[in-house]
Amino acid sequence: MTCADARDLVLAHARGALPPGDDAAVREHLASCAACARVDHVDRMLSEVLEQRLPQHPASLALKRRLAADWPAAPRARRAFTRRWLPALAAAAVVLAVTPLGYHRLVVVPGERNALVTEAVNDHVRVLISQRPMDVESSDVHQVKPWFAGRLDFAPAVAFDGDTEFPLRGGAVGYFLDRRAAVFLYSRRLHAISLFVVRADGLDWPTRRLETSSRGFRVIAWRAGELGYALVSDVSAGELRTLAAKVMGEPA
Amino acid sequence: MATERAGDVRQVGREALAYADTLHNLAHYLAGNDPDAQDLVQETYARALRSLHQFTPGTNLKAWLCRILRNTFVSEYRRRRGSPVVGGLDTVDPVHDVADHEIDALRKVMADELQTALMSLGEDARTVILLDLEGLTEVEVAEVMGCAVGTVKSRLSRARAALRRQIGEAAR
Repeated sequence: MTCADARDLVLAHARGALPPGDDAAVREHLASCAACARVDHVDRMLSEVLEQRLPQHPASLALKRRLAADWPAAPRARRAFTRRWLPALAAAAVVLAVTPLGYHRLVVVPGERNALVTEAVNDHVRVLISQRPMDVESSDVHQVKPWFAGRLDFAPAVAFDGDTEFPLRGGAVGYFLDRRAAVFLYSRRLHAISLFVVRADGLDWPTRRLETSSRGFRVIAWRAGELGYALVSDVSAGELRTLAAKVMGEPA
Repeated sequence: MATERAGDVRQVGREALAYADTLHNLAHYLAGNDPDAQDLVQETYARALRSLHQFTPGTNLKAWLCRILRNTFVSEYRRRRGSPVVGGLDTVDPVHDVADHEIDALRKVMADELQTALMSLGEDARTVILLDLEGLTEVEVAEVMGCAVGTVKSRLSRARAALRRQIGEAAR
């Protein structure tokens, strides 16, 4: 591998996004080339700097209102993701609008895993468009988990505290299909990642890890005991797998 | 059939609006100011609505919208402003070595300096860096940029090297 080849690949290598063969070749090159190893190091620094310090320029609320007004109107929502988010969604007016969730969509017919995936993605989109996606904002899982006590009829077992790669931003109570869900929000660079934890009884929740994508979002779902878990984001598949492994408590 | 179509429009619209922040951020870094960025985003959504029949459900809506935004910028705003592409990526040495002052500068760079450095790069470089930050895959970036998938890695690598150098030069 030449230095020019290696330098085109160091970023994907740092993100764990290379196929095993290419990754091994880059690793081998970096071990023997001090100049490229230095580029790898400084490129990781650049990633961190961009993610943490580059100013962001989000759309103003006025622009969002105009955009929503220009798009064909959507019917009124029958059920919001959480009661807490209703005022924000209403204030944002509009179409930030939630589609009607017909009751037939709230019941999962056994075998309809697509319904689970669709619901997970819909709920994640609601998190993205919400003006206030979190009921409790904290990077400490030991503050977030106790907050759920009395708000759910189960204890969401999530051991991952968040770290520098995937900081925890907070949590919220939401609805997933016909039941309440614990929603943990993590982030990766500028991306939001939603983790939904629900009681899995009565649902065709995958017992083995299910990885899929829908409408540009990646979804990883699995079951542990009585609880079902679904991670949804637009981060890369490798990054979402890394977070899934951390949430599952798998060794690195 | 008409009802189904209306439902599709609403569904895509709901999701599309979730990307307003992403699109506005990209527009701001392309246009260089907020008023033009707002116009660009609004025109992007208008074009998206007109071209909705071309969107393939199940594909990445964010990438599709970014492509419309970039094409709109290239066809309308850049031509109107008459601003040429500055600092083409082909001028960047792909095996440029890292100087000590670049590392120091990266440690100390402030948000506004970082933004200035990014804005000093050519449009292609800015775009590929921002799309990568947004988590688009190489295939999606290639679709947005209108280039081959194989060239995305080298474009991104050169753009980031150019940004590092710019940050280093500004700190001297």
